[in-house]
Amino acid sequence: MRSLEDLRRQRARTFDTIAAVVLTVGIVGLLLEVLVGRYGLNWTYIASAWPTYLRGAWVTFYVTTVSYIVGMGIGFIIGWARAARVSVRKPGAQGAAVFGVKYTLRRMGDGYVAAIRGTPLFVQIVFVSSVLVIRFSSLDPNQLALIAGLVALTANTGGYQSEIFRAGIQTVHTGQVEAARAIGFSRWKAMRHVILPQALRLVIPPLTNEYIGLLKASSLLLVIGIVELTEIGRREAFFQGKPFESFAIVTGLYLLITVPVSKIVEYIERRLRVPGLGIQQAPTTRV
Amino acid sequence: MIRVEDVHKYFGSLHVLRGISLDVSKGEALVIIGPSGSGKSTLLRCINLLVEPDAGRVFIDGVHVNRHDINREWVRQQVGMVFQSFNLFTHLTALENVMLGPIRVKGMSREQSEDKAKQLLARVGLAAKAKAYPAELSGGQQQRVAIARALAMDPKAMLFDEPTSALDPEYIREVLDVMTALARDGMTMIVVTHEMGFASNVARRIVFMDGGVILEEGHPQEIFEHPKQERTRAFVSKILR
Amino acid sequence: MATAEASVAEVRGQPVVRRSSLIRVIEAVIGASIFLVLLQILLNFSLLDSEFWRRYGGSFETGIGTTLRFVAIILPLSAVLGFFLGWLRISRFRTLSWPVAVYVDFFRGIPPIVIVIYASIFGAALLQVRFTGRDLAWNVAAVALALHSAAYQSEIFRAGFQSVPRGQIEAAQALGMRPTQAMYNVVLPQALRLSLPPLGNEFAVVIKDTSLLASIGALDLFGVSQDFIQAVFLQPGASVYWLLTMWTAVALVYFAMTTAVTQVLLFLERKFHVRGLEGVSV
Repeated sequence: MRSLEDLRRQRARTFDTIAAVVLTVGIVGLLLEVLVGRYGLNWTYIASAWPTYLRGAWVTFYVTTVSYIVGMGIGFIIGWARAARVSVRKPGAQGAAVFGVKYTLRRMGDGYVAAIRGTPLFVQIVFVSSVLVIRFSSLDPNQLALIAGLVALTANTGGYQSEIFRAGIQTVHTGQVEAARAIGFSRWKAMRHVILPQALRLVIPPLTNEYIGLLKASSLLLVIGIVELTEIGRREAFFQGKPFESFAIVTGLYLLITVPVSKIVEYIERRLRVPGLGIQQAPTTRV
Repeated sequence: MIRVEDVHKYFGSLHVLRGISLDVSKGEALVIIGPSGSGKSTLLRCINLLVEPDAGRVFIDGVHVNRHDINREWVRQQVGMVFQSFNLFTHLTALENVMLGPIRVKGMSREQSEDKAKQLLARVGLAAKAKAYPAELSGGQQQRVAIARALAMDPKAMLFDEPTSALDPEYIREVLDVMTALARDGMTMIVVTHEMGFASNVARRIVFMDGGVILEEGHPQEIFEHPKQERTRAFVSKILR
Repeated sequence: MATAEASVAEVRGQPVVRRSSLIRVIEAVIGASIFLVLLQILLNFSLLDSEFWRRYGGSFETGIGTTLRFVAIILPLSAVLGFFLGWLRISRFRTLSWPVAVYVDFFRGIPPIVIVIYASIFGAALLQVRFTGRDLAWNVAAVALALHSAAYQSEIFRAGFQSVPRGQIEAAQALGMRPTQAMYNVVLPQALRLSLPPLGNEFAVVIKDTSLLASIGALDLFGVSQDFIQAVFLQPGASVYWLLTMWTAVALVYFAMTTAVTQVLLFLERKFHVRGLEGVSV
């Protein structure tokens, strides 16, 4: 038995959905019309030029992936180092802990991450580039730019990934090392068999987000002359006089990768959500 | 005071309330018992219109309230509600929690509202905790503040939705004492609870709900000692230890 | 060796020795100074090269001023828009929430430098009828950056809104509050407090993002520095090591700005902190 109230509510819901779709499509269409409609998209150009863009996309992909992988090694080591907590033994012992080796290393790691997060990627890139120009002035400029770009991106993602690993390890760490040792595991075994497997599962969503972030950040390498996707788009827009088409292609290509991957990550996160688990909001590479 | 006539409620295809009819007279304390999922909470929320009944009528003090043109805010001022999870406003002190309703909804002045709030907190035994935040209070204290907050609106009746179910055992007594005093003072109330001791002391009538219908109704002694229905007997034997 | 004043605080049930903040600041300053000295030795440059600063000092100041101006445009704009969008995003009307979702997905899915570049092209072209000047392109791009940050901030505010337990909204309704009243008196005070920490992070990103405007020629701190590079190799008496001095100084300035912003928001969070209101950010 359904009441009138219920039917009315259902009808309102359907109307709401339809209106939502219409509004969204309408706004997007309007924007496209404003940008493109007046001139129309030159499809001949697109058909002939897309290999150029693809070459740029390949550079983007290559640079991102290499930096990501190397950065992961760095990030894991630093993250692990920073995750170990200062154990609360005796209050007096803290004085001794202040200048210990482990402590210093940990603080150095903190400083490194702070520097990466506190300065723009642009500055990081040109700084590395400057150092290389001065030290290795004999190198071919293109090679030099590529190396500088890779180093800068690696350092950058290493910093953010160390935050991710640190948060993951710390989240799992609570009480589990004690529990594992009570069973008889040594510190190392506890790490290997108890902490790390769980931490690994926790860090996968933010690490995936980090890859996407790095992909977008790689666009900044154009400042030292690396011809990745955005640079191709910029050149085509300015020197070939095709701003609309280049905008469409560049934006389209980025969205093609970032949106589906983000949606998948969101889906996975929602399935695995545990209230109060901070790891899910670990900061990722932004410019 | 509160009359419910043949109320039905669906959540999707789930028929949660299947024709509930109930009459609570002024000054009466009615207790509703029943297994989880029987629709008790939904029934309470149909009375203060947090949930809209799909069929049937609800009357408060003679006024038919589940109409389209009713002013819901006015209805909710007539009937106060106390929740299982207290739901105190975490960013406000106990005093501010009690004061918020009269100031914002009734338009009372700050001084008047503060006086009233202090009185009510004293009435529930928490005058000393006026400046404390909910996070600093025990469960029992939070629930008592919640009761004071509901009373601050001068409601004609009070609805209690399993007020002690989320409490640690040592805090249950203090909340039940406040509720008992309230009933003795003549407040019309409907209480959904599992606390049989409280029910026996305070209620004139107990209603047993199961599967969205009222299966049995009667004096506490009747329900607890000589239940007529099989399911009533089964339920009562499970909760009476 | 003084024993560090420490307070043991419970962080998610994990006892952590928290050194008093003064000690931490001193540590940081000492550490940074040591690092800078080492860097200068290692890379053979000097931060205090007076000839360099004589030539670069003016641009440095101008650049910082321009950056701050951009920040002053972008931060309030993005915050207001982000708040509004976050609110729409949690509406039960899909007509309101879906377009916002598409907006957010779009702006978060493309690199901000892409937004800057194309905004300067299209914006200037579309608005040329009423305004002119190079500044136009830069300001349009700045507004575009605000739109970009608003997408991220809307998610922050959305999370803030959703963190307020539903039960409290129910309680507010049960007291007879209208939906607007419940929003203003119960949801907003808590949602805003919860949003502060991640917001500080996002504001820091905005400050860093202003450097992207240099790619379209804006004369912000990064832009003037890049322009100065031309000067380094054209003028007599210029040392190539000035590059390092310059970029280190620039990095320090940005670092100071981002730290200042995050500290301000942390201070605000602590000032308005209420026990029992805990966020879930890292």
